[in-house]
Amino acid sequence: MNISLFGKRIQLFRKRSIWLRKIVQWFFFLLIALIAINQSLVEAGGGLPLLSTASLHALCPFGGVVTIYQYATTGTFVQKIHESSFVLMVIGLALAVLFGPVFCGWVCPLGTAQEWVSKLGKKLFRRRFNHFVPARLDSILRYTRYLVLAWVVYLTAATGTLIFAEYDPYFAMFNLWSDELALGGVIVLAVTLLLSLFVERPWCKYACPYGAFLGISNLFRVFGIRRNAATCKADGACSIMCPMNIEVDTKTVVRDHQCISCLECTSEAVCPVAKTVVFATSLPVLPTRGEK
Amino acid sequence: MTLTSKPLAALVLFILLGGIFFSSLMGWFQTESTKIAATFTEGEFAGQANPADIRGSYTLGDVEKNFGVPAAVVAQAFGVSDPNPAAYAVKNLETLYENSPVEIGTDSVRMFVAFYTGLPMDLTAGTFLPDSALPLLSDRNLSSERLAYLETHTVALEGAPAASEAPAPETVSTEAETDRALKGKTTFGEVLSWGVSPVTVEQILGQPLPAPSVTVKDFCVEKGLSFETIKPLLQAEIDKAAP
Repeated sequence: MNISLFGKRIQLFRKRSIWLRKIVQWFFFLLIALIAINQSLVEAGGGLPLLSTASLHALCPFGGVVTIYQYATTGTFVQKIHESSFVLMVIGLALAVLFGPVFCGWVCPLGTAQEWVSKLGKKLFRRRFNHFVPARLDSILRYTRYLVLAWVVYLTAATGTLIFAEYDPYFAMFNLWSDELALGGVIVLAVTLLLSLFVERPWCKYACPYGAFLGISNLFRVFGIRRNAATCKADGACSIMCPMNIEVDTKTVVRDHQCISCLECTSEAVCPVAKTVVFATSLPVLPTRGEK
Repeated sequence: MTLTSKPLAALVLFILLGGIFFSSLMGWFQTESTKIAATFTEGEFAGQANPADIRGSYTLGDVEKNFGVPAAVVAQAFGVSDPNPAAYAVKNLETLYENSPVEIGTDSVRMFVAFYTGLPMDLTAGTFLPDSALPLLSDRNLSSERLAYLETHTVALEGAPAASEAPAPETVSTEAETDRALKGKTTFGEVLSWGVSPVTVEQILGQPLPAPSVTVKDFCVEKGLSFETIKPLLQAEIDKAAP
């Protein structure tokens, strides 16, 4: 319901969250969980009908990223990686060019799990939640995921093995019952989920190599988060709601490498003014206010 | 153009699931090895499946499909007592023969299949067979060269445990202890990551270091070196470099 106040259209009873995103996240979480369970059942001689029996490695787009070097130099894939990882990498890249790291915000099951734990953190710490890390330290730590990306790509190229599987919390999360479970992965997963009580998406912000790879697309994506400064109330709601702590209210176009295209900052969710923070290719040229 | 959550969700699902569906139709979305062995491209065996392309992920059933050697025969040759030998993965032999003084694994299956079918096989790799394979090869009209090879490359493994007899906890602990054990599938990258310097590796090989993704065994086969000679030398350096 919209009303007009001081010449601005204000949305009453606005949505606080993009519910459809939660449904999509649930869908992919359950899908991957069922496939992982099915793989174990198949190995034990059973299996669920109509469900893929692919390994998690075969369904991980990051597997495609880490095998690029070996594929380019020898024409083969890194151990346990198959053509499907390459296909998923290309699809993920196409989505990122169009919509930014939408894979992180809408699809990745590890991101979903972190959000679930963070709900508890929000209830426990309220306004302090997601603001524990000092801003200066946080701004530096945001780049560590690029170091992780470089480390993983280099070691995979150097050894020809899927070295990241030993530490991958996503792989650990869906292998808790399997003999492929690696201690390193369990520790990283446990630390990630524990930190999610204090920080929104800590793995995505500070360590995820695939998030780092996709995050670059924020610099040139076709659709982006855009703020209409002419109609903005400057209440800061968009910045407060952003899970990645991006200061949306100081920008006209969000080019931050950490944006995950979750749409939680938009007028469809938290912004009270209609058509002010939108996910679009462009905005009408209007006089701006508050642009840094 | 502006997108709200509904069209965005629809587009994400369409592109992701549609992309998977389309690539599946095109045969690009392979989630596992095709299990179809490469064929010889020239010579008298051109067009026939090449035993050298047997992978660790093949089951004995895959071996049977590609080469016509019954899974039960391969299982008997390698002392596999699995009730369903066709589903037994070749790579499991490495675990089964973990305590063997010589490596019995995928290469051994390649050699057995080559000998059983009469297909060509490079014998310079120093591959061994368990003695349980010999009776099954006795009526296969082996050449004198192959018979002579078997005399020196067969190992008696009377104490080797059968797959179903190997207790799981012991297997796990042994694996942990042999993390840095050089095996047939070990790559040069792994050897370097274990602390052995490139110069040392080159001195042992007597050749320039190949690409890190190349396995030590494949390199030895390609260069005509004996894997059984190179392996202990590299292993000694790996052990020296261990923290």
